[in-house]
Amino acid sequence: MDLILLTAIFVLTPPAGVRAYDTPDDRGGSITVEWNLSSDDAAVERYDVYRSDNGVDYIKIGVIGKGRSVFEDETENNKEYMYKVAAVQDTIIAFSEPSMRVKSVSQWIDRKKINIVVAVFIFGGIILYFIYHARKGKELFIRKIAGVQAIDDAVGRATEMGKPILYCPGIGYIEDIATIASLSIIGEVAKKCAQYDTKFINPHFDPIVYTVAREIVKESYSSVGRPDAFDPDSVYFVTDSQFAYAAAVDGIMLREKPATNFLIGWFRAESLIIAETGASTGAIQIAGTDQVSQLPFFVTACDYTLIGEELYAASAYISKEPLLLGAIKGEDMGKLVIVSILVAASIIGLVTKLHILDLFR
Amino acid sequence: MKFVDYLTKIDRRIIYVILLAVVVLPLLFPSALSVRVMPPVEKLFHAIDAIPEEKALIIDFDYDPQTLPELEPMGFAILRHAFSRRIKVLALSLYVQPLGLAQNALIQVTEEFNSTAQTNRDSVIYGRDYVFLGWQPPPLIPILGMGESIINVYRIDYYGNRTDTLPLLKEIKNYSDIALLVSISSGDPPKWWVEYAQNRFGLQVGAGVTAVSASEFYPFLQTGQFSGLAIGMKGAAEYEELVDNQLHVAGRRKASEALPSLTYAHLVMIAFIIIGNIGFFIKRRQK
Amino acid sequence: MKRTIPLVLVFIFGLLGFIPFIVPHEIVQSSDDFLRNNFLKILAAFALILGLGSLLRVHIDKIKRKGQNWPYSWVLIITFLVTAIIGLFGGVTGQGVLPTRIGSFSFDIWTIFFNIEVPLGATMFALLSFFMASAAYRAFRARSTEATLLLVAAFIVMLGVLPLGNSISPHLPSFAQWIMDVPNVAAQRGILFGVALGMLATALKIILGIERSWLGGGGE
Repeated sequence: MDLILLTAIFVLTPPAGVRAYDTPDDRGGSITVEWNLSSDDAAVERYDVYRSDNGVDYIKIGVIGKGRSVFEDETENNKEYMYKVAAVQDTIIAFSEPSMRVKSVSQWIDRKKINIVVAVFIFGGIILYFIYHARKGKELFIRKIAGVQAIDDAVGRATEMGKPILYCPGIGYIEDIATIASLSIIGEVAKKCAQYDTKFINPHFDPIVYTVAREIVKESYSSVGRPDAFDPDSVYFVTDSQFAYAAAVDGIMLREKPATNFLIGWFRAESLIIAETGASTGAIQIAGTDQVSQLPFFVTACDYTLIGEELYAASAYISKEPLLLGAIKGEDMGKLVIVSILVAASIIGLVTKLHILDLFR
Repeated sequence: MKFVDYLTKIDRRIIYVILLAVVVLPLLFPSALSVRVMPPVEKLFHAIDAIPEEKALIIDFDYDPQTLPELEPMGFAILRHAFSRRIKVLALSLYVQPLGLAQNALIQVTEEFNSTAQTNRDSVIYGRDYVFLGWQPPPLIPILGMGESIINVYRIDYYGNRTDTLPLLKEIKNYSDIALLVSISSGDPPKWWVEYAQNRFGLQVGAGVTAVSASEFYPFLQTGQFSGLAIGMKGAAEYEELVDNQLHVAGRRKASEALPSLTYAHLVMIAFIIIGNIGFFIKRRQK
Repeated sequence: MKRTIPLVLVFIFGLLGFIPFIVPHEIVQSSDDFLRNNFLKILAAFALILGLGSLLRVHIDKIKRKGQNWPYSWVLIITFLVTAIIGLFGGVTGQGVLPTRIGSFSFDIWTIFFNIEVPLGATMFALLSFFMASAAYRAFRARSTEATLLLVAAFIVMLGVLPLGNSISPHLPSFAQWIMDVPNVAAQRGILFGVALGMLATALKIILGIERSWLGGGGE
């Protein structure tokens, strides 16, 4: 009698409302199982999740701690499953009712990223609008960037002194935007070197960046009618070890004593080692990077520094191509629109109870 | 040269010699400096301390020999913390260079514990208490892949054992079994863990970074994307202080030993900046 | 044609990089996996061969011409070949076909790495502290109000992170932490924000073929 009474007292309430659904916005192979916690959750040790593909035989596929009510299961696409969840306390197991049949599929659109895509299209649209106007011959004002304006003088200085120019594109890879921006500038600098017959030295850290830079420099020499002046050994791969590269560049600076150093690209800790050595040789140094942690070192050791997106704008500034200038203008307008939206959303979020932040998740 | 000119044009070699002296002498004649623990390191400590028994800690060893003095002490201190609290540890590297350094840290800390262990339970046993997963290029593969299955990404561990035979990995399947990942790195990996693993799988991330790159990681700490942050040698010394004081775990405190050198080097730099500015102001007045 | 084909390829691969971000479907994701894990690796391997070829050619030419410092080119070529042979045939810790041990003296690739590359790299990195001191001394002048403000903040942060800072004032470390947490983060966010949008715009310009300076040569 006492045993029956004890058993009656210790019957566990099973979890209820088991819902299984295809995990949204994924490549398939996943089903999410949710349930309402057992009312005896405080006494529960854990929840065991069971799965069946025929509705009859269930196998245990996972375990989750008490207080938790979500489980993600790895599944085969387009195969139907049913789920049960059991509350477990020692040897007492209480099974839920089975869920509906569900299968996992791949989705074509990740709905969580739609807001980002919309923002990209708006931003891109603004840029294209200004490019369209630039094409029509509209004058566009871009503020002066001291570092970019100094490029001509810097190359001229090297020519007059009969010393070479060193162009160091940093230790980035080809997928880094700063490296791509650097490659956009290298062509312009190479053209000036070709025109003034100034020696050009361009050591590289990454083999892929080296192959691209070599072609750019060669094409630049050809474009100003000096293909004969291009020295293939002026653009070369050194090493893909960070500090060995810094040592190599330092060695070039101390031996060749370039009059002008361009340190433009993606840099890490070696930035100050390179920049300070260049400063000690008395060269004019024009640097540019989007690495926030290295900017202070360049500002300290170099004569001119392109900060962040000034680096991306530089090629437009040098070439003065209307399309590129229009793109810069478009970028600025786009930034203004985005900042305005952010300020408005912040005010709305602070002052009202609207879940405005959800738009940006 | 007039004295005022000299103040603004001190030969850099003099600066280097003085700096060399203030860095080397405290190492030859050690002294102790008190360490005040700052909130970012405290947060990291408590985040690791709060890891429940059924979950594990992943340590991403991503420092290279150049940043070893700043970051290795963090790795040691975190391992001592984890092993003393019987927290299960998975170690990995996203690059090949740190592998030897990670192995070195695991072996040394394991030996520290096993040399004083009385029973098998007290010991730190490979496969039961920790696993060294090794390296799986490119970095995105383990960062994304471990959200689904750790043993699918690392089919064998660093030592060539099949990961599906290791006891620890029979319980720890993927990120849902991981309470925290700490990335000890001199570069961008902590950001990648947040961008990919945290955004997609909700993984909690902490970081140990070099002092020079710390400023770019503060925003992540502020937004709660990092559960804690240890910065440079000072951060490592703070973590060592917490492990020593709160857990009473003995072990060489390399960062704390180097703190006097760091302190005096900072003071020398400040002194030279002040000297330079004094000369600058006097010259400006004279004009 | 010479400029059209690269522009078309950039457009296609640019889209192929963007589409997997919003389309989680298995077909798209597996293609993306293939591009990233197989295609790019093969590309990188060939580029490495080109890079190494360039390095050797530069130094062999220097030796032939007896250019400036040409003996060091021999040092580079010999160490390059020796390390490559040991690495390729000696195994990582000496398990390869080539013996890498004479008595207790081992010269496998791991030993070479830890005893040569590591100390050299550490030495170069250590130079940073000296260069930081000389650069700070040379450049940190209170030339203007903003520069003075920056200098004072730098002093507070430098002292605040040291144990000595706590001895000067117990509020100094907290104030230094506040400078790093608030004004520093605000400025960082501003720059990061601009950089992120600049990256997006640059990527769009390159994919759409508006930015073509990376192709080299004159404009169209």
